[in-house]
Amino acid sequence: MSTFVIGLSISMLLFLLAAGLTLIFGMLRIINFAHGALYMFGAYLAYQVSASSGSFWLALLVAPLGMALIGALTERWLLRPIYSMPHEFQLLITFGMILVIEEMVHVFWGLNGRNIATPVALAGGVEWLGTTFAKYRLFVIVLGAAMIVLLLLGIERSRLGLIVRACSVNPTMAASLGVKVNTVRTAVFAAGAALAGLAGAVAGPMLPIQLQMGTTIILDCFIVVILGGLGNIRGAVLGALLIGMTRAYGQQWLPEWIDILTYSVLIATLLLRPQGLFSKKERLA
Amino acid sequence: MKKLFCSGMMAATLVCSALTAAMPVNAQDVFRIAGIVPLSGAFGVVGENMRRGVTIAIEERQSRVLGKPIEISWDDTETSSQVAVQKTTRALSRDVQTVFGEASSGSTLAMMKLTEQRKVPQIITLSADDRITGADKTRYAFRTSNTVAMENRMIGEFAKRQGSKKMYAIVSDYQVGRDMWAALKLDFESKGIQVIGVDLTPVGTKDYAVLLDKAMKSGADSLMLLVVGGDVVTSLKQGADVGLPQKMKVMGTMLMDETLGQSVGPAGSLGVNSTLRYHYSQNSPRNKRFVEAYKAKYKELPSQYAGEAYDGMSWWLDVVEGTGVWDKEKWVDAFHGSVRKDSVEGEKTMRACDNQASQVGLFGLAQPGTEGPVVMKVTEQFTAAELFKPCT
Repeated sequence: MSTFVIGLSISMLLFLLAAGLTLIFGMLRIINFAHGALYMFGAYLAYQVSASSGSFWLALLVAPLGMALIGALTERWLLRPIYSMPHEFQLLITFGMILVIEEMVHVFWGLNGRNIATPVALAGGVEWLGTTFAKYRLFVIVLGAAMIVLLLLGIERSRLGLIVRACSVNPTMAASLGVKVNTVRTAVFAAGAALAGLAGAVAGPMLPIQLQMGTTIILDCFIVVILGGLGNIRGAVLGALLIGMTRAYGQQWLPEWIDILTYSVLIATLLLRPQGLFSKKERLA
Repeated sequence: MKKLFCSGMMAATLVCSALTAAMPVNAQDVFRIAGIVPLSGAFGVVGENMRRGVTIAIEERQSRVLGKPIEISWDDTETSSQVAVQKTTRALSRDVQTVFGEASSGSTLAMMKLTEQRKVPQIITLSADDRITGADKTRYAFRTSNTVAMENRMIGEFAKRQGSKKMYAIVSDYQVGRDMWAALKLDFESKGIQVIGVDLTPVGTKDYAVLLDKAMKSGADSLMLLVVGGDVVTSLKQGADVGLPQKMKVMGTMLMDETLGQSVGPAGSLGVNSTLRYHYSQNSPRNKRFVEAYKAKYKELPSQYAGEAYDGMSWWLDVVEGTGVWDKEKWVDAFHGSVRKDSVEGEKTMRACDNQASQVGLFGLAQPGTEGPVVMKVTEQFTAAELFKPCT
């Protein structure tokens, strides 16, 4: 039971980060390599707010908003001019962003690792069935589940989601119907960046806040996104659960093999269903 | 005209070559040191601290040795052995008198092959792999800091003194980790401490919760955490919320100090026991001078990495100064068997048999303190005789 709960918490943290990545790809067709750097920046911003104000909850609010602002500026000034250019330009721009963000963080916060204290209400653990469960992990599970519901409802059931999907599928048609496509694109990129910031703030009390934190976790996020199918939120949920549980149960029974197990899941999926577990075949005409 | 120009150039080249060859060896105008350390990547903070320690060692002698100015260049290895080798090769082509570094044992071992080929002294103040002054030792590489073997002896002895009966271990799965654990397991068993479980986990593991849960349910009274880099912070941070330091006696090598305490936070740090390479509280006149100079320059207390780097470099430069000659071979000869009466940690001796400094060993406990939220208190001190086997 304890392994399942821990696996669930790993999955939800992965989902929070992968959701932003898949949202941006699904709606804008941009593979945002700087997503890990935004996650790291979000964690540092959350640390700063938490250290200055003493409130984790304020940090949890400010970090996504700060990253949303950076995301919006990035989309407007860096990505919009290159939508019509080959994909290599997106790769170069987002990769360049990693270097810029890392250097900014280095200049502002230095090389020393930072820590966000777990909020008092979520500190410590609860005993259940002979196991101590960290309250903070239970919070991560609840937050992750809430974000899943919010994203699915927002994209699949709301009018806003309909507009976003219309802009993704046929931007010219959407524009001719009066939709401000550029504004929608900026908002989508900002939302993806906000999710990265939220994941950074949530990770703060659990993981080391350091310059490399983005690069170490982004690989798992790409695996989640590839497993679920690029641009698919439902797929990201399943991918996150698959990787989170593989890691948790792998640590329980075969800790030395954990990386091999994780990558085997990826290879098996790519061999059996290269479009991802949840991708639907696209109608071409 | 062209012919005349070519002949002139050739003559000038010949004269220059002849002058260079005839120049006496002690006519060098600068003592060059190549600092090859990680200044970015996972060990960036370690390298930065090493750089600070060396800077104090150079500044305290007005940046001069043998009457010549000291010129130090810093190269960032980016926490990569491959880059370390590239940067060392480039540094050696600049005709340096000393190479300083690296932090990781793998990089240090690779660099040692190059410094041996070029016969350039190398000062090592952090890497602990036994091969550095064991199977792969060279005439030119000197280690002034701890070895894996001495840290193992400290851990074994510490666990025994603390009354540990049952031990669980979580070990980073890399060569040094595996070697350390193999030796430690034998040591624990020889001391009557039962090893009831071990988990090897990849370096860079992002979640330790399952492993910590296994350890806490195992019935062990002590946990040996043999993890490195960011994994130290990850494991201890995640242990905080399930009360790990309260439920088990947590111990390890380089597992905790004031710098790591900042990253982990008090909840995961307080109560953790760790070997210490150096501690600013050491009561020696040189250490007091060093701590004062360090605080004045950097506005904080020196870390273990800074302390060890200072100690190694200041010892080496004093030895060079003592020879009075500009000759690398003479400096190396003088360092073999050199005794440092007033190192920051008391007396150290550079063993001529393996270029390893024999020295005391420290063990500390993380406690709340006035200088910061987490302060290490030196709880045990081991003598050099307890930690080192005689030279063979």
